[in-house]
Amino acid sequence: MNYDLLRITAGVIATIGLYSVLWKENKFYRFFEHVFLGLAAGWTMVALWTETLKANWWDKMVGTPAETGSVATNGMYAYALLIPFGLMGYFVFSKKHNWISRIPIGIILGLWSGQQIQVWWNTYGPQIDATLKPILPTTWDSLIVPSTNGLTPEQLSQVQSQIYFSQAVNNFLFTITVVSVLSYFLFSFEVKNKAVKGINTMGRYLLMIGFGAIFGSTVMMRFTLLIDRMHFIWIEWLRDGVFPFISGR
Amino acid sequence: MIPLLQAQAPATSFWSEAFNSSELWTKLIITLVVGLVVMVGLLYAPIRARKPIIAFFTFISGAYWVLLYLWPKPIDRQPGEMPLNTVETVSFWLADSNNVVVSFTQILTGFLLGLGIFSLLKIHLTKITKGHKDAFFSIVLLVSMGLMIWFGYADWFDRLGERGAMLDNRDNWGFTQYGRDFLFEGLLQQMDAAMFSVIAFYILSAAYRAFRVRSVEATILLSAASLVLLSLMGAVSFVWDENVKSIANGNPFILNFQLTEVAQWIRNTFQTSSIRGIQFGVGLGALAMGLRLWLSLEKPGSGS
Amino acid sequence: MKGNLGEKLQSLPKPILYLILILATSIPLFFPTEVPNEPVESTKDFYATLMALPEGSKVLLMSDWTGSTRGESKGAFRSIFKILIRRKAKVAIYSAADPQAPRVAQDAINELNMERKRKNLPTFDRWNDWVNIGYFPNAEAAINGIANDLKGAFGGRKDFPPNSPPRDVFQSPVLQGVTKVEDFPLMLVITASKTSNFAVERVSGRTPLAFAVTGVMVPETQVFYQSKQIVGYCGGLKGVYDLEQLMESGVNFPDKATGKIKSDKLGTIEGFPDPDNKGQGTRYYPTLHYALALMIIMIILGNVGMFLAKRGDKS
Repeated sequence: MNYDLLRITAGVIATIGLYSVLWKENKFYRFFEHVFLGLAAGWTMVALWTETLKANWWDKMVGTPAETGSVATNGMYAYALLIPFGLMGYFVFSKKHNWISRIPIGIILGLWSGQQIQVWWNTYGPQIDATLKPILPTTWDSLIVPSTNGLTPEQLSQVQSQIYFSQAVNNFLFTITVVSVLSYFLFSFEVKNKAVKGINTMGRYLLMIGFGAIFGSTVMMRFTLLIDRMHFIWIEWLRDGVFPFISGR
Repeated sequence: MIPLLQAQAPATSFWSEAFNSSELWTKLIITLVVGLVVMVGLLYAPIRARKPIIAFFTFISGAYWVLLYLWPKPIDRQPGEMPLNTVETVSFWLADSNNVVVSFTQILTGFLLGLGIFSLLKIHLTKITKGHKDAFFSIVLLVSMGLMIWFGYADWFDRLGERGAMLDNRDNWGFTQYGRDFLFEGLLQQMDAAMFSVIAFYILSAAYRAFRVRSVEATILLSAASLVLLSLMGAVSFVWDENVKSIANGNPFILNFQLTEVAQWIRNTFQTSSIRGIQFGVGLGALAMGLRLWLSLEKPGSGS
Repeated sequence: MKGNLGEKLQSLPKPILYLILILATSIPLFFPTEVPNEPVESTKDFYATLMALPEGSKVLLMSDWTGSTRGESKGAFRSIFKILIRRKAKVAIYSAADPQAPRVAQDAINELNMERKRKNLPTFDRWNDWVNIGYFPNAEAAINGIANDLKGAFGGRKDFPPNSPPRDVFQSPVLQGVTKVEDFPLMLVITASKTSNFAVERVSGRTPLAFAVTGVMVPETQVFYQSKQIVGYCGGLKGVYDLEQLMESGVNFPDKATGKIKSDKLGTIEGFPDPDNKGQGTRYYPTLHYALALMIIMIILGNVGMFLAKRGDKS
């Protein structure tokens, strides 16, 4: 048995082991579950140093020597302060001093929250602009957008500069959907006005369209992952691995 | 390959010293000792001072990014340019310290990631030492972890030399490369895929048992989901569209009832807008939460 | 009796359901078929953006997928790299979501290179054509750092030139001359998580963004596409299949009248017919039809059962 077949066989056994939970919780599943957790935790420990801490922290703190193709860099000793800050996080396990673990967590949260103003505007500024579309038609020459086949550039720009009735209706539906869905999130005060209540209800119904789309896309993704596993077992392992091995090819 | 020789060592400053120099190690140890002394000192801080201490660190951390975003930025800054006034001094400092702040964030996150590993080790070592009935599985976990760490680092050390790039080619692999590949690609990645794909079974079972047309909302959700599922099936779209085209006979109004056109219209008019509304709501909540966290207005968990 | 039938229809045992799903997702794999398909606009725009890259362009790629979503993400990754290799692009890869991601990307490129070697095609070489900058924890801070100070963010990171110990990534031909994120004509994100959102939040407006996301992220990503915050995206397995078809047929190629895939918005975009274009999308997409059909049938069955049971109760 060559290495590739051995590797794929191990993967298939592990996959079937994890799938055995579909029948019921069992020791076979628990064995592979723990193997998976152990391997994932082990890789995190490897990547943490090799991918992150060595380049970002250690080399910056102690500097690096001149090597082939690289100049020497000085060490910035202030990076040593991160050791006590990092250690503070581990006091979460102490009954008496666990409050101190909130300092590094507070720093991380502070760094996250400080970015939110920038994040909010960068994300939603263009979307607010894209939501405010014209809802009144600018021409009644045609109710629907005319075909652009065979038009000259001047005629094309003329067509594209107008808002036709069908576009205005679509834009209106778009805007009213955003506004009504947003109004559904008015939880801070009691809504008594009948018109606003109606918009809230409409927003709840329109929300369902979004959820339906999310459900459909999620189903596609999960089924694709399952198809990938079935392909791995039946095609990559059985058809292209085991059968040729048995037949001596 | 001719090694690059430096005409002179890089300049030192108050914040940096030459690699492997006694000055560097002295300052490093002093900094570490000072940091540890401050940490020990904080352990004995009075209870009333705890919340302000945490709030202080949180506020200072957040203030950097707020300032970076709101403070006027230098226009067309040239390398080596000196600031002209206080506003420019601050803006230069904010820009220059960005790299350090980001590094600090990532390093601190890296250390805190180790918390999860520490916790895992604590739980499973306790199970083994106390002879828990599931101690066997804890041993399995620790052995797997140990093997991955060993092979992962061994492979990394091998790559540090001149053979680094050569080890991308399987013809140059040794025992450690095969071991790392077997554990990472052969086991970990396949198990990762299997874990995520199990959800497909639960989705099917849950949809079959719970997805019922009992209310207006459920009907709308089911209709939207069905339309999305049908539009994802290229063969179904093709057959539907061909049938519509044959009925339409060139009539542009009837052509709008092709599945691809209907799905696109629903997507562009209702789906995108409703998700945008959800995201606006979530975004406003996140902004409010961000401000409350930055200003330590959140009561639970701050110094109690 | 109808009530009993209604209840029976709603209570198929789970093992039977799971077995049917396994059969529906396994048997079609043995009978590959070609499925007719019309690529969506977002994928056409994604393909057009990649094909519009001048030859030798530098591309920044955030690769944030692992084995958990390889069913979709690996297919997208491979197709994107086939196009980038065609464009002779230079690719700088980094990851921010998962510590496994850099190694997964590396292994996928090595796999691609092994296949190219077998076909006597030139390989996509590490250091000269692509560099792996590594993993950056805390994705939000990392992407902010890249947006504000790329040289600082990637400073000190090393990769492997041929026959040499690791060297600073900025010495590589991939990153030579690059000082800020705006120097990249395109930033690609292949992800299974919210790191695509982080890229929009922090990088949008500085350089064009294009995404390859998993199915679950498609509705959110569509919002960014509609507001032109991203130039295009490839979503889920359908997106991967669309991309493979676009690689094969192009858009309005050789011209709008005879092209298999048409677009009113785009001009003529070359396709490059090659059996190698058929990848994961072509292999999995037909089988997805059976799985989705099963889902629809089971939902209908459950609802029919509910109505029959209600009528049985009333009578």
